[in-house]
Amino acid sequence: MENVLTVRGLKKSYGTQMALAGIDFDVRAGEVFALIGPNGAGKTTTLRIIATLLTSSGGDITFLGRDLRKEPDFVREKISYLPEEAGAYKDMKGLDYLEFMANFYARTPEEEKDFVDRAVAITELGDRLKTKVGTYSKGMTRKLLLARALMTKPVLAILDEPTSGLDVLNALEVREIVRRYVKEGTSVLLSSHNMLEIEFLSDRVALINKGLILDAGTPSELKGKHQASNLEEVFRSSLR
Amino acid sequence: MKRFTNLLKKEIKELVTKQLVISLAFTVILFNFIGQVSKKEVQKATGIQTISALDQDGSPASQALIKGLESARFKILDQSGKTKDEAIETAKAGESKLLLVIPEGFGESLTELKPSEIETYSFMRSFSLIGARGQIVVQSVISALNEALSNNFLSEKLPEHDPASLKRPIKSKDFVVVQDMMAEGSANMVAGMISQQSLLIPVVLMMIVIYSSQMVISAVAMEKQNKTLETLLTVPIRRTSIITAKMLAAGLVGLISAGVYMFAFRGFIGGIGEEAAQAGAQAGAPAIMQKLGLTFSASGYAILGLSIFLAILVALALAMILGVLAEDFRSAQTMIMPLMFMVMIPYFISLFADMNTIALPLKIFILAIPFTHPFLVSQNLYLGNYGMIVAGLAYMLVVFVALVIFAARIFSTDKILTMKLRFGKKKTAAA
Ligand SMILES: Nc1ncnc2c1ncn2[C@@H]1O[C@H](COP(=O)(O)OP(=O)(O)O)[C@@H](O)[C@H]1O
Ligand SMILES: [Mg+2]
Repeated sequence: MENVLTVRGLKKSYGTQMALAGIDFDVRAGEVFALIGPNGAGKTTTLRIIATLLTSSGGDITFLGRDLRKEPDFVREKISYLPEEAGAYKDMKGLDYLEFMANFYARTPEEEKDFVDRAVAITELGDRLKTKVGTYSKGMTRKLLLARALMTKPVLAILDEPTSGLDVLNALEVREIVRRYVKEGTSVLLSSHNMLEIEFLSDRVALINKGLILDAGTPSELKGKHQASNLEEVFRSSLR
Repeated sequence: MKRFTNLLKKEIKELVTKQLVISLAFTVILFNFIGQVSKKEVQKATGIQTISALDQDGSPASQALIKGLESARFKILDQSGKTKDEAIETAKAGESKLLLVIPEGFGESLTELKPSEIETYSFMRSFSLIGARGQIVVQSVISALNEALSNNFLSEKLPEHDPASLKRPIKSKDFVVVQDMMAEGSANMVAGMISQQSLLIPVVLMMIVIYSSQMVISAVAMEKQNKTLETLLTVPIRRTSIITAKMLAAGLVGLISAGVYMFAFRGFIGGIGEEAAQAGAQAGAPAIMQKLGLTFSASGYAILGLSIFLAILVALALAMILGVLAEDFRSAQTMIMPLMFMVMIPYFISLFADMNTIALPLKIFILAIPFTHPFLVSQNLYLGNYGMIVAGLAYMLVVFVALVIFAARIFSTDKILTMKLRFGKKKTAAA
């Protein structure tokens, strides 16, 4: 399978503080790739650099064969990014928000309607989409934002901690949505500090700690290699 | 372009909140109400007022004085037959604002050309200026009487001379010269008219700058607060478009709000102003201004408008940068203060100093403030300093472009996000 994204020797420091000490990984077409690691490991930093929000201090990132640093406008057309703890405009109705966001990506009114219809289906919020975002629960807002990120069928969807802060049922729904829409051809790069849920969601994972990748592979490969029964044990074992 | 208008629409919708509409409507209604009330008060004060008069003399001269007051729209309450103290008491208890006492022998001493005295008692029940008008009118009636009496006397004693030229042997004829135009009039009056005209510019400018800057700042701060900024920055739209859309929206909404406020304010001023304007009208003034070339042509207004527009753009760009650098909404609000001072400084200096004669370092400092230039436009137009005008416009344009580039730079670097992060970290540390 071809790589959508190649990251080589990626470094980032904030002033004197080193956040990424040189990391490598690939995201292949049509897969869910997860960066897992504890808080402060450098997951958000990595995703923000790939989402063209931050500039790296070193290393190369290739997206669809092009240099991400040199062509941020090209990248923005093809990706979508769901930030950690993101919000939507509180005074907009859910549907208006989806239309507003779809308008940036759609080339024709038909395509825009297409995007919005898909998002409406993803959220399963029905008539609540006609009310203001400010009145939504955390789970509803997250589903709205996730639908926004997936509706345009981006080449790569970047989701930072998509389930964090959600209750069990909402988290489950979010994971199901991600799995379902990857089948339509989108690759997903996500991050989580919850290593157990990732096992069922991801095709491949990379364990990240203190700005370094400890190990990478499919969950079963990693479990076999470290003789562990779950990814938390894999992580503990790879720290040694 | 489609993406830009999409964003612009959203920005405008976001700024035109219920609170804004309500506060605008409230201001219009409030100012209108105040205007109406003051108008009534002014009418009351300038309408028929009552004056009590105690004529202890009863001579033709004293009657002429009272007639004169009646013809100046005063209602005279005759207090004849009372003593002075009684008259004061009655007038105090009544609604008269003034008691006029003409002592016995007033007419007689007039005919003998001895100084004559009358007494006025003003009852100040409030300290408004309009209330004190009664006494001013009495004074002017008295001076008219003085004039007539002395003219009579002079023409009796020296029939071959004109009393007017006897009283004022030296007469001055005043001319004002501006450039190569000349008109009869006083320099004082011309300067007064000009400063009245140019007073409007700073008021409008201040209003728009304050409103628009606040709106730009809140537009950025709101994105940070709602955690929508990160998403917006990954959308396929240029950073300069994001900045421009926000500035344009704030500029438009600020312009409209300022317009509404100005309209409301005019309703307020109109209430008091009309009568006062009638009283103090210098009838020939507009004609003199015309003759001196001190009126704006259409192109003059266009240049002034352009200058104000550029100043607004500069203010918006500055506000944008402040909004990005500010960690939250409240600190952004305090950051507007220096911006407001920058608008005030040129205004006050242009009130009290002559730009041509102030010391060079101060002059450079003032000219370096972009907001100075709209203030100077009208003067420079009148005086034909087109070079200064063009230089001012060019300077503002350069400052604006530099500021936008700087703002776009901040938007494309890590700063815009890391500033917010630092704020977030502080909060978690405190928690
Ligand atoms: N704006 C910033 N300024 C300074 N340090 C930062 C900033 N953002 C993140 N960091 C630091 O970089 C490291 C990685 O952070 P982050 O990528 O947010 O981790 P994660 O998302 O895995 O929890 C942490 O040590 C964090 O404190
Ligand atoms: Mg994170």
